[in-house]
Amino acid sequence: MKTIYTDALVIGGGLAGLRVAIGIRRRGHDVVVLSLVPPKRSHSAAAQGGMQASLGNSSMGQGDNEDVHFFDTVRGSDWGADQDVVRMFVNTAPKAVRELAAWGVPWNRVERGDHQSVIDGKNVTLTESEEAHGLITARNFGGTQKWRTSYVSDGTGHSMLYTMSNQAIAEDIPVHERMEAVALIHDGERCSGAVVRNLKTGELINYVAKSTCIATGGYGRLYRATTNAVINEGMGTAIALETGVAALGNMEAVQFHPTAIFPAGILVTEGCRGDGGLLLDVDGHRFMPDYEPGKKELASRDVVSRCMETHIASGKGVQSRFGEHLWLDIRLLGKKHIDTRLREVKEICNYFLGIEPADSLIPVRPAQHYSMGGVRTDFRGESPTLKGLFAAGESACWDMHGFNRLGGNSVAETVVAGMIVGEYMSDFLESSAGDITVSSALIRDAYNKQAKYMAGFGDRNRTENPLHIMREMQELMSANVAIFRNTERLSSAVEKLQQLAIRAQKISVRSSARGANPDLVAAYRVQKMIKLSLCVAQGALQREESRGAHFREDFPLRNDKDWLCRTLATWSEGATMPTLNYEPLHVNKMELPPGWRGYGVEDRVDHPDTAARQAEVDAVRAKFEGGDRFAAQEALMPYSDKLPEKLRRRNARLGEKGDTQ
Amino acid sequence: MSQNTKHEVSSLNTIPVKNVDGLRRLTINIFRHNPEDANSVPHMDSFVIEEADSMTLFIALNELRENQDPTLQFDFVCRAGICGSCAMLVNGRPTLACRTLTKDLPEVITLAPLPGFALIGDLSVDTGVWMRGMSERLQTWVHSQEERDFCEMEEKMEPELADKIYELERCIECGCCIAACGTAQMRPDFVGAVGINQLARFRLDPRDERTDADFYEVVGDENGVFGCMTLLGCDDMCPKSLPLAQQLAYMRRKMALAS
Amino acid sequence: MQSANKPIPVRSAHLNRWPAWMDMAQGATGLILVLFMWTHMFLVSSILLGKDAMYFVARLFEGEPMLGKPYPILVSLFAVFILTLIVVHAVLALRKFPNSASQYRTLHQHLGNLKHADSSLWYVQVLTGFALFFLASVHLYQLITHPADIGPYASSDRVWSGRVWPLYLILLFVVELHAGIGIYRLVIKWGLFLGDNAKRNRKILHSIKWALTIFFIVLGLFTLGAYMKIGAEHADRVGERYVPSYHQTESNHQIQTDLQVESDADAESPASPH
Ligand SMILES: Cc1cc2nc3c(=O)[nH]c(=O)nc-3n(C[C@H](O)[C@H](O)[C@H](O)COP(=O)(O)OP(=O)(O)OC[C@H]3O[C@@H](n4cnc5c(N)ncnc54)[C@H](O)[C@@H]3O)c2cc1C
Ligand code: HEM
Ligand code: HEM
Ligand code: SF4
Ligand code: F3S
Ligand code: FES
Repeated sequence: MKTIYTDALVIGGGLAGLRVAIGIRRRGHDVVVLSLVPPKRSHSAAAQGGMQASLGNSSMGQGDNEDVHFFDTVRGSDWGADQDVVRMFVNTAPKAVRELAAWGVPWNRVERGDHQSVIDGKNVTLTESEEAHGLITARNFGGTQKWRTSYVSDGTGHSMLYTMSNQAIAEDIPVHERMEAVALIHDGERCSGAVVRNLKTGELINYVAKSTCIATGGYGRLYRATTNAVINEGMGTAIALETGVAALGNMEAVQFHPTAIFPAGILVTEGCRGDGGLLLDVDGHRFMPDYEPGKKELASRDVVSRCMETHIASGKGVQSRFGEHLWLDIRLLGKKHIDTRLREVKEICNYFLGIEPADSLIPVRPAQHYSMGGVRTDFRGESPTLKGLFAAGESACWDMHGFNRLGGNSVAETVVAGMIVGEYMSDFLESSAGDITVSSALIRDAYNKQAKYMAGFGDRNRTENPLHIMREMQELMSANVAIFRNTERLSSAVEKLQQLAIRAQKISVRSSARGANPDLVAAYRVQKMIKLSLCVAQGALQREESRGAHFREDFPLRNDKDWLCRTLATWSEGATMPTLNYEPLHVNKMELPPGWRGYGVEDRVDHPDTAARQAEVDAVRAKFEGGDRFAAQEALMPYSDKLPEKLRRRNARLGEKGDTQ
Repeated sequence: MSQNTKHEVSSLNTIPVKNVDGLRRLTINIFRHNPEDANSVPHMDSFVIEEADSMTLFIALNELRENQDPTLQFDFVCRAGICGSCAMLVNGRPTLACRTLTKDLPEVITLAPLPGFALIGDLSVDTGVWMRGMSERLQTWVHSQEERDFCEMEEKMEPELADKIYELERCIECGCCIAACGTAQMRPDFVGAVGINQLARFRLDPRDERTDADFYEVVGDENGVFGCMTLLGCDDMCPKSLPLAQQLAYMRRKMALAS
Repeated sequence: MQSANKPIPVRSAHLNRWPAWMDMAQGATGLILVLFMWTHMFLVSSILLGKDAMYFVARLFEGEPMLGKPYPILVSLFAVFILTLIVVHAVLALRKFPNSASQYRTLHQHLGNLKHADSSLWYVQVLTGFALFFLASVHLYQLITHPADIGPYASSDRVWSGRVWPLYLILLFVVELHAGIGIYRLVIKWGLFLGDNAKRNRKILHSIKWALTIFFIVLGLFTLGAYMKIGAEHADRVGERYVPSYHQTESNHQIQTDLQVESDADAESPASPH
């Protein structure tokens, strides 16, 4: 039994995990990062479109600031987000972009003078100022009032991840690749690391740590049609759930992206629409304005995806041997734009579809894309129920996305969360709470339990093929727990998932050879994935309202009166279903009380406190009208003491001075 | 009204995926070896599989694992040609398996792991550890002594320069250029086009304060830029079509001048 | 703060310049050799323009036009210089040869798998380089030791009656392949003519390279043919030296006017000892 000791264990080598590790390292602590794959292959690399931060450098971004970003994000979340966290986020995002700029990300820059651009299907000329020339520019994304998405062509995530990973190498941070955390070591109160399986040798190893952070990304692979990488199976989220103590938040909040190429499910970025691309139906008709006259193609993702599916259901889809789809038209952007700003999109079209997007339409249909839910933490990134366990990035639910995330807010979140959680983890390590007390018996038990569990799959009486079960689960989820949900489909999904869980007990692993053993990997993962699926399906079934990406045909309205709350799922050992609890969101503390998002359905059931809070907010705003926006914000919802001190300062913009040190 | 104008669809492709006339039965020969298993000897296994519409090697290999041999090892992550995990020799040439359509291949397909990297098993090789070693050796990060305050405006950069840097940064560390390079195959310490290209990227970046002499220190030798024999396999087989020949030449000139 | 990066590592006091210099020297010697070879081919092919032309060229290189009379030692010296270049070049290039059986195996397997033109061409270069080392040395040794035996008849006799033509035939192919590939590689190695569309321009360079090689091989074959033809016709008079037509009249005139001058009818070079 091999045991490795470290101050901090970061599970996940994507943007979030690496930034957490850098933060901890810079505070002088030992840190080890684990990753299923070489860190530069984490799915963060797939982010194409960009990262939101209110720099306001470009002409279409002028007037942008933290406040506007805050409003967009909260509206995007359909008021499901924790507004304190959103505030922390919007204040830190510009710092994150600028830090990355200093570390080497080649952000696209503003170029002075006139530029041709396509807005709403029409060619327009945008003029950039001399003063902004050379500053970081931005593109348009759905659900935002300003052009706020900083980008590097359409390889933003790639550039960010490479820069971050190189920075981690510069800081001498060890990344143990092809290492999979299969269980957390804990005593019911305190987490002390993880039992880890070496994916090269098959060996089990204990990583004992004073603090542990889960940064394992999303769980998109619960679905058949997904834009996510094949490693996004939610294992980090699942091992947190299996502690029985840590809770998962809002698992039913699953985002579907409007433009996954059909049928492969590979994403083409929202930047396509942000830059002026249109959605067309079988007749070549631009249908989005019929549904969303205001934001059209650039309404938030949940809204656009639903419109697309509705439109297909109305018989306007394009038939193909694989089923129906719609078209994305970026021909109007021109070859030059596509060759320079949408290169990955072009490559994907060339290789997977055999078409040239400058000349042909791209077949698209919505597919699962993002997991808003994840390990529930407080604003520090720490689990409120399991001490020493932190989480950051897509795998976490500190809750800045609520029920729908805006494009570009996710990679921004990963880095921002990394910056914040890294500090709080370091604080934890430096406090007495961080002292390690774990007994060697606890470690041994955790290890033996996993060893026994893995060995169990070799039992001769077992018959099931793990990959077949996984496929059935994915198809079930895609068919029944997707964009349009209702009681009937959801309850049948829950039922069938439970049956699958029983069959999964009989999974057999046919090879016992040493080494990675992919069959065994699939076996233990699918059992965990079914648990996560049940959390999603059961959460969706119980949530009898429509909010953000969670849309119930039988409860089409947002219901703040009964459902302005966060779902918390836990799983007690030996249980066959998750336990769901609800944590309320407090209207009377909100800086932006619930209202209409500006797109999507306008009707809703209001919370009884909304009107009163709105009046309060209006009064405060009136008082500060034309005055200091920071003072107004402070009066409405003070949050800055929640940020680590070094992140509290104000951001400089072209017309605005920042706080210097 | 512009909203209701019909958009020209006559030129569009009606069926998104190329039709394969009469689907074939493919024979896929796969290199097999599990170095962890003392009893395993390297050999080739042959599988037969029905071709499907728009089938990629990603789909084909997963189908084989699902239905024919659960022990088959290979690496896919993004399955979209952007993460660099799935490079392997397809009929002798290094390429990204996930974006290789079977219809572009003959009926008999031979798959082998990327040479030049430690074998993990079957088609899976340890490019990650190699790349990290390369990064450490060449110090592929921005070296700067200036401390920038991230609350202040970012440093300006010419838009064109940012584009140029990105052009070189598109490398996905897939290892194809190492597998395609005779020099790297013969001399395991050679940093290859991937390493030299990455340094060229930092050489170009004004935020990196290193001088040519600093770069020379890490890349000015037979394991670096002067070891390259201009075999150009790298340039021809880089799946991201990076301008590797040009970058190798650029670094060679700079390093020659620095000497 | 926060964005501080790692400090620049302390550099050791002085760089090891050898790798750069050796690389440059290899390229430079290669370049000179290629340029020399092409010039050489043009010069040798002067035979195609007639025996006089070839005769003139030969005398030219013995310095006659400048020094008043031919000095074959110049040819020897030049040949020594070229041989030195070749040795330097070869020694430097030798570093790149596969240097163990296992490297050979790896390389063969690699090339067999890859079927990649430029990689295979490099192997051709290694093989031709290796061959050149011997073939060129033989040729040069001959010239260094008999610098005066260059001329329409002397050369042709060597080619035909001296049975050197098989050597030249092989040498021709070997050296033109090696030079063509070498110069192509050299140009790309240092990034010349790649412009802003490197992939396309490289294809163009590749074609130019083949065109050059073929041109010089064809020229060489004609030239060799000419020497062989002359050599065959002259086989019964081996040893006889050519008298250029302009010399014939001029020397006739000289004989008439200055009887003290020894008849040079049997020597191509008035100074050639025999
Ligand atoms: C196709 C696509 C495009 C996107 N485009 C954008 C965009 O333009 N803008 C935007 O803001 N967002 C975008 N997103 C979302 C965004 O990319 C992700 O949300 C974000 O990158 C997640 O980062 P992360 O660090 O949390 O996780 P990841 O980058 O997914 O990293 C997870 C890490 O955890 C490791 N890991 C997982 N499980 C384990 C385990 N059990 N043990 C050890 N290690 C483990 C993995 O190896 C990996 O290193 C996109 C997402 C997709 C799928
Ligand atoms: C100073 C150096 C050299 C001199 C003066 C020289 C001179 C000559 C001469 C005079 C000939 C005509 C045939 C003869 O006289 O034998 C000849 C032929 C030839 N030489 Fe050289 N040579 C030199 C170097 C080289 C080198 C370095 C090479 C190749 C590596 C070379 C390759 C050839 C070939 C291939 C032919 C045959 C050409 C043909 O007829 O097609 N020579 N050389
Ligand atoms: C006589 C023995 C010779 C040997 C053993 C030899 C060998 C080689 C080898 C192995 C290379 C490849 C080096 C590399 O890839 O880095 C090379 C390159 C080259 N050779 Fe030769 N060669 C010889 C003679 C010549 C001659 C006579 C010429 C001229 C015609 C020549 C011209 C070149 C050129 C131009 C290059 C490219 C240089 C470079 O890549 O830096 N070589 N040689
Ligand atoms: S340079 Fe090209 S071939 Fe080499 S690792 Fe990078 S992407 Fe792959
Ligand atoms: S293939 Fe190798 S030798 Fe140089 S040109 Fe490319 S690195
Ligand atoms: S799986 Fe990512 S490149 Fe092929």
